[in-house]
Amino acid sequence: MEIKNIKSTNIPAFFDQLIQSGKVVIAPVLKKSGKVFFESVKSYSQVATDYIQTGFSAKSVVFPKVEELFSFVKNEDDIEITNNLQNIPETIVWGLRPCDASAFDYLVEFFLRENPDTYFAARKEKTTLIAVSCAKADDACFCTSVGLNPGSTAGSDILLTLMGEDVYVEVNTEKGKAAVETSAALFTPSEEKSKEEYLAKLTAKFSIDEIKERIKNAYESAEWKHESMGCFGCGACAFACPTCTCFNIEDEGTQNSGKRLRCWDACGFGQFTKHASGHNPRTNQTERRRQRLMHKFKYSVENLGIVSCVGCGRCIRVCPAHLNIFENILSVTK
Amino acid sequence: MKNLQNKVAELFENGTINLMIGFKNSINKLPVPCFIEKAEQIEQLIFTPECKGNLAVYLHKPEVKQAKKVGILANVATLRSIVQLTSENQLGDIEKTIITINAQNEILVFDKMEDVEAYVQANFPTYTDEDKKLLEQLSNMTREERWQFWTEQFSACVKCYACRAVCPMCYCPQCTVECNQPQWIKVSSETTGNLEWHTMRAMHLAGRCINCGECGRICPVGIPVHLLTAKMNQDIEAEFGSKTGFSCQSGYALNTFKPEDKEQFIK
Amino acid sequence: MEFEPKIVAFVCNWCTYAGADLAGTSRTKYATNVSIIRFPCTGRIDFMLLMKAFENGADGIIVSGCHPNDCHYTSGNFHARRRWIVFRSVLDFMGFDTDRITFSWVSAAEGTKWADLVNETTEKIRTKGPFTDFKKLDIETTNRMIDEELAK
Repeated sequence: MEIKNIKSTNIPAFFDQLIQSGKVVIAPVLKKSGKVFFESVKSYSQVATDYIQTGFSAKSVVFPKVEELFSFVKNEDDIEITNNLQNIPETIVWGLRPCDASAFDYLVEFFLRENPDTYFAARKEKTTLIAVSCAKADDACFCTSVGLNPGSTAGSDILLTLMGEDVYVEVNTEKGKAAVETSAALFTPSEEKSKEEYLAKLTAKFSIDEIKERIKNAYESAEWKHESMGCFGCGACAFACPTCTCFNIEDEGTQNSGKRLRCWDACGFGQFTKHASGHNPRTNQTERRRQRLMHKFKYSVENLGIVSCVGCGRCIRVCPAHLNIFENILSVTK
Repeated sequence: MKNLQNKVAELFENGTINLMIGFKNSINKLPVPCFIEKAEQIEQLIFTPECKGNLAVYLHKPEVKQAKKVGILANVATLRSIVQLTSENQLGDIEKTIITINAQNEILVFDKMEDVEAYVQANFPTYTDEDKKLLEQLSNMTREERWQFWTEQFSACVKCYACRAVCPMCYCPQCTVECNQPQWIKVSSETTGNLEWHTMRAMHLAGRCINCGECGRICPVGIPVHLLTAKMNQDIEAEFGSKTGFSCQSGYALNTFKPEDKEQFIK
Repeated sequence: MEFEPKIVAFVCNWCTYAGADLAGTSRTKYATNVSIIRFPCTGRIDFMLLMKAFENGADGIIVSGCHPNDCHYTSGNFHARRRWIVFRSVLDFMGFDTDRITFSWVSAAEGTKWADLVNETTEKIRTKGPFTDFKKLDIETTNRMIDEELAK
């Protein structure tokens, strides 16, 4: 890892140079609705800076909400299949929070560990992640409860921390180095500094190790029903979440031509577990909500060794009923 | 709040309710729905003008119906939803105790649906100023500009169906979008698929929506979907004279007709 | 080559379809651009079918049934009329060109009216041009646009 420094007044120049270098740059943008979302931008002037967290995560860069896996055309004697893996552009994601960057580590484990997903791999390969530390947090943030912190470098290629007139630059990977190289003149070497005073202060709501232990006995807790009463079964939490990876495969078209799409899906939907036989093992919302929380804190630990919740708080903010994941977890593991 | 909490405690004690649906304070200074089943949970109950959510949607939940005797803290939007749902014969399987707090800070417990009707007719909410402004803006746009506006909005839609989930009028056990033989509404959240979904939603809610605006308020990507149904209701009221959430005997505009209905566009 | 519009017609069996038959038996010549879909009644026409027709390549649509008070099922067309009033309102509010959908009442005796209707609609749509609004929303188009943008 290299440590550098850049004057905060030079950040726009660095940013614009990244755009000049021909890559697609995705950054947080303030929309008319007042919410901030990741979008493709053409200049630093479009980037939102005064906000706590974006509405949706940046996972759509490597796991789009609708992805065409391939398209087919039936000719007279054969079927022509085309996929557009070769058209994936080099992409830079700017302005991720440390929780979001760490979520990419989970996505890599999920998609690439056993049977590598070629689509995810192709996109991840072309993606550089530039994260920005958090100086502020709100009541929905709880990264320190899940083993992260507002200045964590996990998952990012570069982490920027604003320190007054300077920006502390932690270059974590080769990709990060390459990005810095595009404006090498703007950076100066720096010694290691403590980020502590520039980071948001977040008291942990719980100890993740304790939760990981206690949740082993939480399946039969009588509290699930009460904690899930507010849940309507929409997909907002799953779609906003940086580590939710469930998807549905849909075919659209006719017998002569069409395409196969991978679309986001959510375990909160009533039909999510419905079998072709008509049987549905999770018939009520309590069971579905339990599944979601157990998956985040227990099943992903069993399957991949990591807690998949990164404490970004998006699920709490987007939930129409504002269900609170950490309150729920504390209640069922009492 | 103490008076309200005492009233609710009373209702629990004399067996009138087994479950109270209300609001409580939560993080980020948000009032959120809360479900009270035990006496010790009553102290979290609040009801302020900031409690804007429409709780009527919970009256369809199997877990709520199981409780049989249900109390619900209702703002005007919730009351109108309950009136509309009653006119659609939807709330017959629970014994409801409907509570509200009026502008004079009095706690009202409604005995009969007629009392609820009288209350909503006197307190008929109009659209928010912001909504009125946006609707006017949209009406003044050209057709092409409106197409630009809506297709741009819909391109952000992720088909989370939160708008459907939060609507008290969307109570179908199997939604049209879940019909997959054939796949009637596209699953994918490409703009055409989103357009299909939102058009269908607007049509299925036309003449039934009571304009609480929840769908637009909770959309995670900020699409003002409540404007679609608001416009439908405006037009339906202008064309056919029917209002929603006003009377327990109101008919549904789209399954009734008058032979003298007028239109200009049929050759 | 001149643009030949694709018109899809949603018609009721008892009046308009019979009217179209009459146009046929009377050997009336009219535009061949129309594909007729027969319904028992206009009351059966689901508004989504109209959207689906546009998505699958239609440039214009005709919806036609029995005159009010003449519906074979007494009131199907009254319900349909209400539905069309509301649907047109939704479409117009969303910025869709409602001129591409022609509604009419054509009875079983109005073979000439049917032929005229098809001819007029075909010419109207020919002047408007092909319906591309939905095609432009396609994801492939979006992807291609991103690639073209990058290539600049």
